[in-house]
Amino acid sequence: MNPREFEYHAPHSLDEAFSLLGKYGDESKILAGGQSLIPLMKSRIFSMPHIIDIGKIEGLRNIEINKSGARIGSLVTISDLESEREIAELFPAIHDAASQIADPLIRNAGTIGGNIAHGDPGNDLPAVLVTLGAVFVLRRSGGERTADASKFFIDTLETDVHHGEILTEIVIPRPGKKTASAYLKAKKSAGDFSIAGISTCISMEKDGSIGSIRMALTSSGPKVIEVTGLEEICKGKKDYNSIAEKVSVAAVSSAKPSDDFYGTVQYKKKVIGILAKDCLKLAMERAEKR
Amino acid sequence: MRSEKEMVTGRMQYIDDIVMDGMLHMTVVRSPYSFAKINAIRGGLNHTDFNSEMKSFGEGETGEETGPGETMFAGSHAFYAGQPVAAVFGKTKYESEDNADSVEVDYEPLKPIMNLNDSLKLGPVHGSMKSNVLKRTLLGKEFSIADSHIDLSDSFMMERIATNPIEGRGLVCHYDDNKLNVWISGQSMHSIKSGLCGTLNLPPDRVRVFHVDTGGAFGLKGGMYPEYAIAGFASMKYGKPVKWIETRREHLMASKPGRGVRGDITISARKDGKILGLKGKVLVDAGAFGGSIAEFSPRFIGYQITGPYAIGNVYVDAQALVTNKPPQGPYRGAGRPEASFLMERMIDRLADETGLDPVDIRLTNAATEPFKTPTGMTIPESRSFLQDAIRELGYRNFRKPERPGFSFFALLPASSPGEGARIRCSEGKVKVWLGGNTHGQGHEFFVKSLLSTEFRIDPGLITLEYADTDMLEKGEGSWGSRSAMVGGNAIIELARRIIKRIEKEEGHYAPEILLDGEYDEQDFVSYKKTLISYGANLVTADVDTYGNVHVKECRSYYDVGRALVPHMVRGQIIGGCMQGIGQTLYEEISYSEDGTLLTGSISDAGLPTAEKIPEFTVKYAENPSEFPHGAKGLGESPTIGVPTALARAIELASGKRIRNTPVRPDYLIG
Ligand SMILES: Cc1cc2nc3c(=O)[nH]c(=O)nc-3n(C[C@H](O)[C@H](O)[C@H](O)COP(=O)(O)OP(=O)(O)OC[C@H]3O[C@@H](n4cnc5c(N)ncnc54)[C@H](O)[C@@H]3O)c2cc1C
Repeated sequence: MNPREFEYHAPHSLDEAFSLLGKYGDESKILAGGQSLIPLMKSRIFSMPHIIDIGKIEGLRNIEINKSGARIGSLVTISDLESEREIAELFPAIHDAASQIADPLIRNAGTIGGNIAHGDPGNDLPAVLVTLGAVFVLRRSGGERTADASKFFIDTLETDVHHGEILTEIVIPRPGKKTASAYLKAKKSAGDFSIAGISTCISMEKDGSIGSIRMALTSSGPKVIEVTGLEEICKGKKDYNSIAEKVSVAAVSSAKPSDDFYGTVQYKKKVIGILAKDCLKLAMERAEKR
Repeated sequence: MRSEKEMVTGRMQYIDDIVMDGMLHMTVVRSPYSFAKINAIRGGLNHTDFNSEMKSFGEGETGEETGPGETMFAGSHAFYAGQPVAAVFGKTKYESEDNADSVEVDYEPLKPIMNLNDSLKLGPVHGSMKSNVLKRTLLGKEFSIADSHIDLSDSFMMERIATNPIEGRGLVCHYDDNKLNVWISGQSMHSIKSGLCGTLNLPPDRVRVFHVDTGGAFGLKGGMYPEYAIAGFASMKYGKPVKWIETRREHLMASKPGRGVRGDITISARKDGKILGLKGKVLVDAGAFGGSIAEFSPRFIGYQITGPYAIGNVYVDAQALVTNKPPQGPYRGAGRPEASFLMERMIDRLADETGLDPVDIRLTNAATEPFKTPTGMTIPESRSFLQDAIRELGYRNFRKPERPGFSFFALLPASSPGEGARIRCSEGKVKVWLGGNTHGQGHEFFVKSLLSTEFRIDPGLITLEYADTDMLEKGEGSWGSRSAMVGGNAIIELARRIIKRIEKEEGHYAPEILLDGEYDEQDFVSYKKTLISYGANLVTADVDTYGNVHVKECRSYYDVGRALVPHMVRGQIIGGCMQGIGQTLYEEISYSEDGTLLTGSISDAGLPTAEKIPEFTVKYAENPSEFPHGAKGLGESPTIGVPTALARAIELASGKRIRNTPVRPDYLIG
């Protein structure tokens, strides 16, 4: 199918974009890589009189890595994330997730900002960024604020981006020593959204015991879900076998999957349980090697 | 002629590449409900303008269609989600889609029948019927066996699947000078022509149908659809060319999907694995209307249910049942994979019951001489092929714990009633028209190969022309593993007539005489038999902790008679194996109980992707057929053999009994 008629704007600066957003208000929508928005427009599920393509704005495509961590511009594509060596080194979960999103064509166009701002509980990067403790920079005409990844996602297709704001940067703190992350995704075929996905970030103490752990789930509820109760289970523990089952149960009890064509709640919980164990194992192995 | 590279990279002239002056684009407004009463329709072209009933269905047509037939637009009721309710037009695709908003329909949703159990249990969907049984056929004879040691019963379901070629349906109609000209992506120009003549009430000399490059079909494009007649009607009404191109979503909701077959089967056997009898029910999800293939399929499945085996007692109650879904259509195999699945699954079950090797049970039951089954099918001796297949596929080389799935089947091609063809030699070139229209299989290759041999001329002088119902008077279609077999037979027959004529006129035949002269032969070359051939597959697979199946190896051994163009044979087999894997693991058209389509996108409907491709071994036997070229059928073989062998491989890897396709991960680990 083909979209309804709309007017296309392609501002070259953030200021220009803010003034267009101001001028057209509720009649306008930001377009980044278009890989979520354009399918909705083409199927006429969504239409908007004014589309503001932010793709030509300078300065939003950088990946900057420094002592305090990474600053990733919102227009950085999923492919860029996937191929950036330092990202894979510092944040393996980002690399794991990026390389499993859709297919290469979609990854070449889709952006990190769009993946987050769309608020789709099936998108893979939100869970990763929640476990990595990322902070999002939101700019508006004459100001900016930051939002914690863990508080940013409100409901299905609903985030903390207010109208008139543009997500410009994703800031991720540098991981400490013996810290590692991992992302695993259960899916039917390459290129599919997940049946469930899970991100894990683990920090080990000097003695090899777990100091802190965060896990978050994709496709397991109306929005990204952070697994609770992990610290009590894992803190001070060294042996994977002694915690795997409990971590798995914690992940399953945090999840709120629903019945759909891809499976029943019971099946999805089973998948989440296995994913949690496999991802815990992978993250622990990676952390030990650091 | 197109090269294979042009074909697979899409550099062809497809239907959507056709542009005409003043052309209108058609958008079809469809029922969102699987079953609804329509109180009023305002806007667009609708049933008050055009309400003729479907005529002539193409593949699977028996002439015994009982109805109720589909009207071109829904009238008082919409009987499936996706049924055309109105059509709108515009000078561009955009304008045409915008105009869909102007159609207002007042629907009163009704409770739909979405599965076979409800179809049997609940009252008829159509007021004109007493029950939902569209057609019932009893095959074989009721029996009882006194000395049976083992009676096994089981129930199997192959869900509906979309044909999903890369290119969906589409056509351009242009009514000009009192003649309706139609360019269409298709498998059979002559079926489309008779369908259009019937629905539009036009005499044959006022409809001309042209074939264009076709990007796959798999059964989708062998027959009539309401959209075709609506586009033709609109072109006549508006006096302009009209184009309609199906979207993928329309394909998934409103084209005719295949499979949708349940079998409740009981076999009686001795402890040594000899099967004494088979009885059961075959239930086909016919969809909302008669016609197409639904009346034919249950009988066809029942008829060949015992495949290559000599089983003395058979009794099948075969029924086509009405549901609130699009009418069933043929999908690669069209009844053959269904029959084989039911038989082969029962044999594997019997192996588990008796502790015998499933392949030994197959050997015990294979026909040692020509055998007429109680359902009336005569099969040639099959045991010796099976013995060869066991060896060629390396079955006995596997050692525990590695155990492959194995299948053995009979291919019943749609060789009857033959095929129409035309050969015209003029100005040193040989042009060929065929009644069965290539939709990506590469008919050009066998045409060139066969005719260059017959005429002793350079293959570069021979071209396969686009089919066209004015250039060729009679034709059947390309489906049912028939094209090289009966199409090839037809062109050889015509070539030999031309050669005879030259010999008569000139005293002898020489290629130069042919190329210097003018010759034109056309005919429908009849062939009224079903030329059965045998095939076997071996498949190995793993199942991981998430319930994902990984197919490791897929080996094929089919009797192709003679491989006319070996690399095309290989391509047919590998592509077909992937479709067999697709049916078994991923593909499905599914609805919720309330009739909402759950598989509205291609990723939901589940095509196998590149990472799923296993290691293939392609082997074939060449036991020449009675045709002058020696070839037998092939196209459907892999879709018959692979699902059954793969189902067994999964069963062995997972320990779960496999009764349904697709085999879903949630079943394997649930
Ligand atoms: C077939 C297919 C499969 C896919 N599979 C996956 C998958 O497996 N996993 C996965 O994670 N994703 C998947 N995606 C989604 C794809 O990764 C996302 O579409 C992409 O990441 C979104 O980014 P975009 O730049 O294309 O956003 P767009 O489509 O341009 O925008 C999406 C939304 O975000 C808003 N937006 C975008 N950028 C900003 C910004 N800077 N500030 C404020 N608002 C903004 C837009 O207004 C819009 O509402 C798939 C997409 C397709 C088409």
